[in-house]
Amino acid sequence: MRRTQFLYEEADRSVNGKISRVLVVLLALTLILAFVPACSPKEDTTEEETTEETTEPPLKAAMVTDVGGLGDKSFNDLSYEGLKRAEEELGVEIEVLESKEITDYESNIDQLASAGFSPIFAVGFLMTDTVVKLAPEYPDTQFGGVDEFFDPTIENVVGLNFKEEEGSYLAGVVAGMATKETFDAKLNDKNIIGFVGGMDVPLIKKFEAGFIAGAKSVNPDVQVISLYTGSFTDQAKGKELGLSLIDQGADVIYAAAGACGTGTVQACQEKGALFIGVDADQYLTIEGTGDVMLTSMMKRVDNAVFQTIEAAVNGDLKTGENQVFGLKEGGVELAPFHDFDSKVPQAIKDAVEKATADIIDGKITVPTTL
Amino acid sequence: MLGDIITPDLFAAALRMATPLALAAIGGTICERSGVINIALEGMMLTGAFFGTAVVLVTNSPWLGVLGAVGAGVIMASVHAFASINLRADQTVSGTAINLLALGMTGFLMEIWYGHPGTTDQIGVLRPVLTLDAPGGGFLPEVWRWVSGIFLSHTPIVYITILIAITAQWAVYHTKWGLRLRALGEHPRAVDTVGVNVLRGRWVAVLISGGLAGLAGANLTIEQVGSFTEGMTNGRGFIALAANIFGRWTPVGSYLAALLFGFADALQIKLQILRGVISVPPQFFLMLPYVLTVIVLAGVIGRAVAPAASGIPYRKG
Repeated sequence: MRRTQFLYEEADRSVNGKISRVLVVLLALTLILAFVPACSPKEDTTEEETTEETTEPPLKAAMVTDVGGLGDKSFNDLSYEGLKRAEEELGVEIEVLESKEITDYESNIDQLASAGFSPIFAVGFLMTDTVVKLAPEYPDTQFGGVDEFFDPTIENVVGLNFKEEEGSYLAGVVAGMATKETFDAKLNDKNIIGFVGGMDVPLIKKFEAGFIAGAKSVNPDVQVISLYTGSFTDQAKGKELGLSLIDQGADVIYAAAGACGTGTVQACQEKGALFIGVDADQYLTIEGTGDVMLTSMMKRVDNAVFQTIEAAVNGDLKTGENQVFGLKEGGVELAPFHDFDSKVPQAIKDAVEKATADIIDGKITVPTTL
Repeated sequence: MLGDIITPDLFAAALRMATPLALAAIGGTICERSGVINIALEGMMLTGAFFGTAVVLVTNSPWLGVLGAVGAGVIMASVHAFASINLRADQTVSGTAINLLALGMTGFLMEIWYGHPGTTDQIGVLRPVLTLDAPGGGFLPEVWRWVSGIFLSHTPIVYITILIAITAQWAVYHTKWGLRLRALGEHPRAVDTVGVNVLRGRWVAVLISGGLAGLAGANLTIEQVGSFTEGMTNGRGFIALAANIFGRWTPVGSYLAALLFGFADALQIKLQILRGVISVPPQFFLMLPYVLTVIVLAGVIGRAVAPAASGIPYRKG
């Protein structure tokens, strides 16, 4: 009896041994799969060969995406555009590391800095603290913080900021005038427009403040309803906010909420409202939305990244400061009206042009907070 | 002002937002009733959302996409079932591993299949079952506006979910299968001694929960937004777990709990409109559904008792 008991236990133990081995393999596979995308470099191999054949690249520039990753059809993609343009036109070697989690920022930046990349672009304000922490550890590396403001400034870091409020002001001018017009059946006479924000952070507040100021400048009585999703990836939430705004009578909606905006466009298409995109020309990046996509407020992150690399190649990159790219510097602009180009009244186009000129001349100072 | 908040759309939004939570919560209920904890609902939902979109991108058929989503959820669930039933692994560890696996795998496959992570291209979505135009003016049309707005404006999976909740409730409490399922989670040894295969019973329950979580993912991508974004489930699987507990491990209870969370979320959106009137930061409203979850789980509503054998791997002999 005791003998059999012992045998059972023995058998049990060996089964357990097998179990733990299988589990270890399973977990290891999980970890590999979880981290492969985070570490996979985006490289154009053919491009690399040609640069090797010619001359030593003038410098090695790299970027770390934030959690939105490449394919966000927004500022991560735009930064990459700037990087690619630098590769083509300036012959620099480029590299991209993607972050899946906020915890990837540090290891990604470490990895690039150790490999001798400079400048390294950290994309997105979420990475600000990581840059503040790591930059002093690599004094010979130059860092560019896209959408990051450094206070105090750091010797080897340049903050690349945008006057989103200026572009949003123009979006507000368009929305404020359009809601009173009748050039599209989706416009109503309630004089209400909507704003969808991602997280309630100072950066997104700049969009909201500029948008409201622009709308009120041309339509003092307009009611602007602002809603926040609390996320930059929850599309379903973005759609619900859109539906809610339309339910309230909003007929033009401006979304500054990352991928949530994709959901808001859906709401506009379903319930009938016009949409103003953000960061990129979303007429091009979200297919099949031409029937509601009035225009987009573009952040030309690509210009800022390219200009920074160009300065680094020429050896006159100024770090230790925050640079601001506004309408004047080509950092923000309004996208074309595309399908609405023939419908949009000339008065709106003129008003946009006038506001642009006034902002560049300094006649209008756009607020950054509400 | 109150009229701005209490609209048919508020309740319709509650139903819409409750649907993915309810599906996952019912899945979680069936799974835990069999004695297996499923904290991988989030991962299974995400996998379903992704493969649903992928299938529609290839076949252009939303319904095939729904099937694909359910299938993907089932496959993910089979990993959980194998690890936690056959290998008797810690169910929390296995569930966490699957959540990580789902997040990594969907990003990885996006890169391989579409050349970029982030958001996929748009797909054709399932349209609302009925399209009704409310007649204008008067008392009856007003009633009709509310009824049709709240109940008749939805996409197929919203209705399917209600049917699933009722069917599951009936199956759990009024069928032989349901009796065995409940016994599996309370006293598996007793079930074993009467000659019922414990492992198979649990496998079936885990696979069903995966299928339902996959369907929840399909609701997000194929019905609501028409594209997949990495991490788009945004914690819904975990709220579903809370709904399952709040619903006291019953399908209809889970549905109603999900409805409460959905309503809290819909209400916070509407309340944000008031920010123009009273100055409250939006975070306050965004926090409401989660505060509600914490209050509910802290037991204000009453003690909830989990199935006795939940989380304990069964060892024959």
